[in-house]
Amino acid sequence: MPSEQHLHPASILFGLIAQLREFGIPLVFALVAGSRGGLEAIAPLALTLYTLVAVLRYYYYRYRFEEHELVVKHGFFVRNERHIPFARIQNLDAIQNVLHRLLGVVDVRVDTGSGAETDARLSVVTWDAYREMRERVFAGRRTAPATAAEGETDPAAPAELDTPRVLLALPTRELAIHGVIENRGGIVIAGLIGLLWEAGVTERVINRVAGDDVVESGRIRDAIGELWVGGVTLERLGLVVAAIAGVLILIRLLSVVLAIIRLHGFRVSRAGEDLRAEYGLITRVSATIPLRRIQTLTVTDGILHRLFDRVTIRVDTAGGSGPDGGERRRESLAPVIAGTRSEALIREVLPELDLSALAWQAPAEGALTRELRRRLITSAVVAGLAALAIGWYALSLFGLLVAWHSVAAGRTVAHLGWAVVDGAVLFRSGWLRRHLTIARYTRVQSVELVESPFDRRWAMARVSVDTAGAGAASHRVAIPYLTRPAAVALHASLSAAAARTAFHW
Amino acid sequence: MSTDESPFEPATPDAPGSIADGRSRPLDPRLIAVQRLARAVFTAVAAFGTLPFVVIVILSAPGGLPGWAPVAFWSAGVGLLVWWAWAWPPVAYRYRSYSVDATSIEIRRGVVFRRIIHVPRSRVQHTDVSQGPIERSYELGTLVIYTAGTDFARIQLDGLAHATALRIRDHLLPDSGPDAV
Repeated sequence: MPSEQHLHPASILFGLIAQLREFGIPLVFALVAGSRGGLEAIAPLALTLYTLVAVLRYYYYRYRFEEHELVVKHGFFVRNERHIPFARIQNLDAIQNVLHRLLGVVDVRVDTGSGAETDARLSVVTWDAYREMRERVFAGRRTAPATAAEGETDPAAPAELDTPRVLLALPTRELAIHGVIENRGGIVIAGLIGLLWEAGVTERVINRVAGDDVVESGRIRDAIGELWVGGVTLERLGLVVAAIAGVLILIRLLSVVLAIIRLHGFRVSRAGEDLRAEYGLITRVSATIPLRRIQTLTVTDGILHRLFDRVTIRVDTAGGSGPDGGERRRESLAPVIAGTRSEALIREVLPELDLSALAWQAPAEGALTRELRRRLITSAVVAGLAALAIGWYALSLFGLLVAWHSVAAGRTVAHLGWAVVDGAVLFRSGWLRRHLTIARYTRVQSVELVESPFDRRWAMARVSVDTAGAGAASHRVAIPYLTRPAAVALHASLSAAAARTAFHW
Repeated sequence: MSTDESPFEPATPDAPGSIADGRSRPLDPRLIAVQRLARAVFTAVAAFGTLPFVVIVILSAPGGLPGWAPVAFWSAGVGLLVWWAWAWPPVAYRYRSYSVDATSIEIRRGVVFRRIIHVPRSRVQHTDVSQGPIERSYELGTLVIYTAGTDFARIQLDGLAHATALRIRDHLLPDSGPDAV
């Protein structure tokens, strides 16, 4: 009989920390920033209450493994028992931050793709308990009958199951390149400024710098003022440009450092029919993605990617992203990978597809005209509004926009394309930042054909496919500017292809 | 520009026999009456609900605004609503149809943006058949199809005779058997 298990006792500590983070930090913030009386008395009381809640939560949180499912029981007032069949589990992630590592425990998240929420969170269990869980969850799958439908891979040989094969390992050099390309430093700095603003620090700094309140102490303002006293010289202009460049370089450096910390020791390996990703210097993450759970695969390359000859590959799995995707959005399958090696990785992840001979189809004739017209009309509206807001010289903006969009429209349409291979549809778009998405027929949920009024004038239409797990920011297969016969034919063939296959979660 | 026929042709009238014959079917014409009724209620509520504000604006206007302006504005708004409630349903009706075959269901709709949504039967997670109070009095029902997708996780097909909605639902239900893992 399966026995119920408690989480690790350290759960109490982590529960307390989580509560403090939610309620405590604003409290401390209020204490420091507001320094209002009375709150000092509340703090110990709140702490006691939180501890009590954390202990109760720990005591009533139990889980057990049945033959085919994970059962999680929790709740003190409202008792809750949740059954999660192993077969429904989409992702199994383990996260370890510094404290977790010191105590030798992990925070485990179970996702079934039911929505935005994590379906079960075992915070925290021992590393061994996580291993046992992973074994159980994915063991059932190995012995499961080979219900492989068309387009599904054959179950791997048993020998292969237990020896993970490394598909991608990123050395520090690659992570540095990733940092430069991704440039997260800017986001962090923006967040920091926001936080300081909340605390009222910015106001003081601005006063110090610009000297609004205390006229005499605006040091930087004075320095900038002095700069302009002698008029604009080449030397001074150079100084300003150098300062801006310096800041930008610093932000990139910060991004590099962040990338190295976040993704240190990044490794994707394949164990049987599952992909495992492990990474992190301070917070260790260990994610398991069953290959069958992959819904779509997207290859992205921006300008910087091309400079370094790298691409980013990400896969969408159901449950991997939701409306609150920002924080919980899963790491890419390959944050950065050499363009030449990407094909091999894609083959590993989507082995049933033969992508060697892709026949890219271009959009319909007239697509360029439509794209250009659309962009120019938008530009005219933007420039017109700007002119109304700041003056007629803003119309020069229109000139710039026209020049830009004349180039951009052509390049965008030139890169726009779709292709059909045996078992999947591919769609690529973008110019400066290009995306290429592969959707397998087995993962297509529905196929849509849309004809907008503009489409109608040109006898065109758009065909798109809907898949599970597409996040708000995901690049989707939505093919615009198809001639009407092409759209109808594509819609029919995609629909028929999807209907022929069975969908397996 | 091509002069090819639009894929959005008028549907053939209802035919006896199996529902899953792949033929394009129009919705139940009673849908027009249901929509007109529902929208008439909405229009009446909106019109009379905003009337006091028109009176207030006229009474409190400092003289700069002619008294007929708010009335004209209100009338235009109500006129638009009346048009939307009375004239629009038959127009929208003409562009709506559905077809069911052995493997899938296809729904067409939209006057300005015309779309065809194709859902394979194997992708239907579950279905609902619902009936509102007005629908009930006209014996109509709404079929709601849920898929695991993102943009079309919930696809609604209203304006079906309630019996037809049930027939389609029964057809869409997956053949019994173990759910594949």
